[in-house]
Amino acid sequence: MSNSISKKRKISKKAKYKDIINIALAGNANVGKSVIFNQLTGLSQTIGNWPGKTVEKMEGHLNFLGYHFNIVDLPGIYSLSTYSLEEIISRAYIVSEEVDIIINVIDATNLERNLFFTFQLLELKVPMILAINQMDIFYKRNLILNFKKLEDIFKLPVIPVVAVHGKGVHKLLEEAIELVVYKHPTSHYIQNSKKIHEQLSHDDKKVKNDLSIKKTFQFPDLSSILKCGKEVETKVYELIRNVDKFSNYFSKFNYPSRFLAIKILERDEEIEKLFKANQETSYIIDLVEKYRKELEEYHGEDISTIISSEIYTNIHKIIEEVVNVKTHVEKKLFWADKIDHLTTHSFWGYVILALILFGIYFFTFLIGDFFGGVIEDMFEALNNFIYEVYGDDNLGVKIFWEGGLGGLFGAVGGVLVYVIPFFLIIEILQDSGYLPRAAYLMDRFMHSLGVHGKTIIPMILGFGCNVPACTGCRIMETEREKKISIALTSLVPCAAVMTVVLGLVGRYVGITWVLILFVINFIVIIIVGKILNKILPGQCTELIMEMHEYRVPNYSVILKQTWVRTKEFIYKAMPIIIISGIILEILFMFRLLDPVNSLLSPITVYWLGLPAITGIFLIYGILRKELTLVLLALLANSMGTTLLGLLTPFQMIIFSLVTMLYIPCFATVVLIAKETNWKFALKITLLEIGMALLIGGIINWGFIFLTSF
Amino acid sequence: MLVNFYQEKDQGTPLLKCLTDFEINAKLTVLNVNAGFFAKRKLSNLGILTGVKIIKKRAAPLRGPIELIVKGSSLAIGRGLATKIVVKCEEPCTL
Repeated sequence: MSNSISKKRKISKKAKYKDIINIALAGNANVGKSVIFNQLTGLSQTIGNWPGKTVEKMEGHLNFLGYHFNIVDLPGIYSLSTYSLEEIISRAYIVSEEVDIIINVIDATNLERNLFFTFQLLELKVPMILAINQMDIFYKRNLILNFKKLEDIFKLPVIPVVAVHGKGVHKLLEEAIELVVYKHPTSHYIQNSKKIHEQLSHDDKKVKNDLSIKKTFQFPDLSSILKCGKEVETKVYELIRNVDKFSNYFSKFNYPSRFLAIKILERDEEIEKLFKANQETSYIIDLVEKYRKELEEYHGEDISTIISSEIYTNIHKIIEEVVNVKTHVEKKLFWADKIDHLTTHSFWGYVILALILFGIYFFTFLIGDFFGGVIEDMFEALNNFIYEVYGDDNLGVKIFWEGGLGGLFGAVGGVLVYVIPFFLIIEILQDSGYLPRAAYLMDRFMHSLGVHGKTIIPMILGFGCNVPACTGCRIMETEREKKISIALTSLVPCAAVMTVVLGLVGRYVGITWVLILFVINFIVIIIVGKILNKILPGQCTELIMEMHEYRVPNYSVILKQTWVRTKEFIYKAMPIIIISGIILEILFMFRLLDPVNSLLSPITVYWLGLPAITGIFLIYGILRKELTLVLLALLANSMGTTLLGLLTPFQMIIFSLVTMLYIPCFATVVLIAKETNWKFALKITLLEIGMALLIGGIINWGFIFLTSF
Repeated sequence: MLVNFYQEKDQGTPLLKCLTDFEINAKLTVLNVNAGFFAKRKLSNLGILTGVKIIKKRAAPLRGPIELIVKGSSLAIGRGLATKIVVKCEEPCTL
């Protein structure tokens, strides 16, 4: 504490200093970057226990010890080669002037693989802090990490962190300030280094605003740990010499020459482009070609394997030095292992998967139905009260009470009660680490739809909301797989669809029909997948996925995330629901709906066998699917009947089915267009409308045909 | 290269065996990864390199993916790719 106070005093005369620090959080997937980000900024970046949650870099701000911090959360990557979009973006961002300091988040329980990325970052020679996360689990395994030694080796600050409990996260910022002020990494395990720093009281020039920290930062000499084998090293040395000849040209790309040399040797496309772009440097490519051939012949491996294994050898040496086992304990089967075993079991795994998917709906239905009933009764009571006070034919009351507040109650009672428990389960699923297991189990099956198992992750998230789930499809490696995944995900019945189905069919017809509807929906998903698999050129790639350990979901995190999602839902959906409720009431009163409905009636009335009025609801439903139910309830309310008076049970089934399938909601269509292109979005939309009308019509006419006997 | 590896260990060259051929919990050493450039690079970044010791943890039913432990963490690999990872058994084990 006293430490931070003294620091505050030191920084109090900051006027002339650089007081904005830009920080980027980088590291492997699923190491807790987003958790640290949320702890620091108080924002709610989605977090969960599966790789690939953060698909876009996210920015947040905070003030700490008199400094303003801009913090960017980068997507998790495994190397700085440019084979995926995230890696290209992250690498360009890390070397750009926009970032002062990189915080490399490392999962202590998986040091070896995490350090591979760290080694790549070290080659970039950017000011860096190592945050060793999940120390609590590390200690639980009776392991000891020698931080002093780690700092000696890396010559950079190494901070233990337990991100989920917020331990050590602010220490990272203090350390960042130190780096900015002293432009020289400290070690707090060596007393001397601290003393040197104290003596080096920073004079004003050193931290002027206009100075980029990156340019002035004295990156420690780490050549001893970064050194590869002799053969590789001589080639790299030759290349560095050649690159340095053109230092004028290369300096504008911010990459150190050693990094360029290694990456060009590794056949990195982006770097090759840099070399080709300049007439003078293009000769290096031929040189590299020659060296690469020599190395590959010598080692009998291809170049990426050679360099990776050199790095892993170095890492292995470090690990042996810094990690100690406290006492040797018999490895017991932890509960996490037991659950892991059960959920990936050849038989029970599928049973559990089915139970979970079914459980999502059952749980939400149970809770939603109960609270929905309570709220409906309340509205009923209020309704009677209002009409007693104001009389039956007060126009203003009719518009604002029936339309506006009725919409609000409809939204709370019919939609929100289902949405909240739903989000809660989705969050628990995300945070526990179950999703990769589902991907593992479903991999074989998904191959028949032309994608690998990872697609199941955005699909399960799609049960919550299709919009973020479609963004999540970026975890797929190729364009083709991304397209198929998006198409499949957009067909998954989301929370809104679920409320319609449960609120209409579930409440008035029975749970069996709900199940039948979902089965139909999944058959449609399979058919669409098969069609796309045939149509789209290319082949299915193989699954390569990290399986992280289960962990106990953190309750505060889950509750917070659920709240954030619900809040977002309220802010986005409620105004639309209330306003469209009022508009509908007005339209209905002045009989303005008839032209639209009669225009749609060939489809709605003759083909689907629905009342003409539903046409307008289906159009509203494009905006948000839950509107179809809310508005239907409103209409029934204003006509003085219940939903049963408006639709026969059979019509309810058809109506729900069409709502389920007929179109991804507007936000999803826009997002699909953004992720792929408008042409593809349009194709998907048309395909789904066609599917919905076809199946709806077949069921309707089939039913008519069957009952006519 | 591969032939050399076998010759110094045993006599003769046994048939090449891939990850899918071994039973669960087999302790294996990677001999070669015969995959394409991209898959190979990704696997090498994740630590699947020649000479690295891995444990086959489990295999999903119906020719599903294979989960293995490499450098202390679990990795699931699709069946097709797993057949391209040539391994040998560290300890004598039944096949």
